[in-house]
Amino acid sequence: MLQLTTDSNWTELGKYIIKTEHDIVQVRQLIRVHAKEMNMGIIDQTRVTTAVSELLRNMYNYGGGGEVLVETGVVDDKNALIITCADEGSGIEDLDLAMSDGYTSGMGMGYGLPGAKRLVDRFEIKSEKNIGTTVRVMKWR
Amino acid sequence: MKEDYKIERVKERINYIEDVLASVAAGDIDARINSEVEDDLSGIEAAIDLLIDDLTDELKQRKKMQKEVEEKLAKIQEQQKTIFQQQSDLLELSSPVSKVWDNVLILPVIGTLDSQRTQIMMENLLEKIVETGCTISILDITGVPTVDTQVANHLLKTVTAARLLGTECIISGISPAIAQTIVHLGIDLSSINTKATLQDAMIYAMKQNQLSENVKLHSLFADSDENEE
Repeated sequence: MLQLTTDSNWTELGKYIIKTEHDIVQVRQLIRVHAKEMNMGIIDQTRVTTAVSELLRNMYNYGGGGEVLVETGVVDDKNALIITCADEGSGIEDLDLAMSDGYTSGMGMGYGLPGAKRLVDRFEIKSEKNIGTTVRVMKWR
Repeated sequence: MKEDYKIERVKERINYIEDVLASVAAGDIDARINSEVEDDLSGIEAAIDLLIDDLTDELKQRKKMQKEVEEKLAKIQEQQKTIFQQQSDLLELSSPVSKVWDNVLILPVIGTLDSQRTQIMMENLLEKIVETGCTISILDITGVPTVDTQVANHLLKTVTAARLLGTECIISGISPAIAQTIVHLGIDLSSINTKATLQDAMIYAMKQNQLSENVKLHSLFADSDENEE
């Protein structure tokens, strides 16, 4: 799996596996719980949950499932909820295209990745052909 | 001569120990040396017997545990079957479409909308539309905690399909948090008639009803006027 740079001051809140559509729902609910525990408001909770839901769906639909790591830590002097989603799928060939509104390689609406990016405070993506895709989103608290 | 005989004897006993160990290894856990002589070697023989005893106990325990695990596994599989069964039952139950007023259908959606459920929901709604001839349906999503692009896409498709049957579909119960999320996602729901609450949607539906009622009356009078002439 492709790794993104991490910081030693981050603490792990949970690690989950996505294999079925049902896992998406379950993990999404857990993300909402983590966001709530960090005292995020209902709007931020909904935003981060929806963003993660998009990422999980991509992972399930195109990456054959994957791993989700939930962490909390200080990023740029701000408390952040950090969620990293990694799959070992075929990877995204053209990241710029995948990040543009309205483009879809499948049956979706084409707002998943760019929409998720707009819902969070920081968005990192790394993808390599035939190795997989790793996306990390952060929401300030 | 006596020494030779002793060595022979020891050799025999060692061979016998080897035989016993071999049969234990082959699975005969009841094999023991059970030496009848008392000398230096018998201590070793007794120790080996003890070890075999311990091993036998372990083996028995393991078999017992394995059996228990297998039983539990069978139980879990049985439960899983029940869960799957109930899940599919729930799918059927979870999309009730009811006629609440002249011309008005309501479909309350609670929980998560996956592709399978949307399919059933859409089928139920379209069937009911044809069956009742209602021209307004309200999809209430108050009970849906997360609306992502897939859910929105499903909703759009349902509304479009209903429209093809000549029914206006109203989506109600969009919370402020979900409204903001939809806007940030960039989804355009402007082609759909949406209301904040189920109550608003009902009022709207009744007004529409009134309008079509008036149109009907109007055309009725128009007809009778013509007849008089």
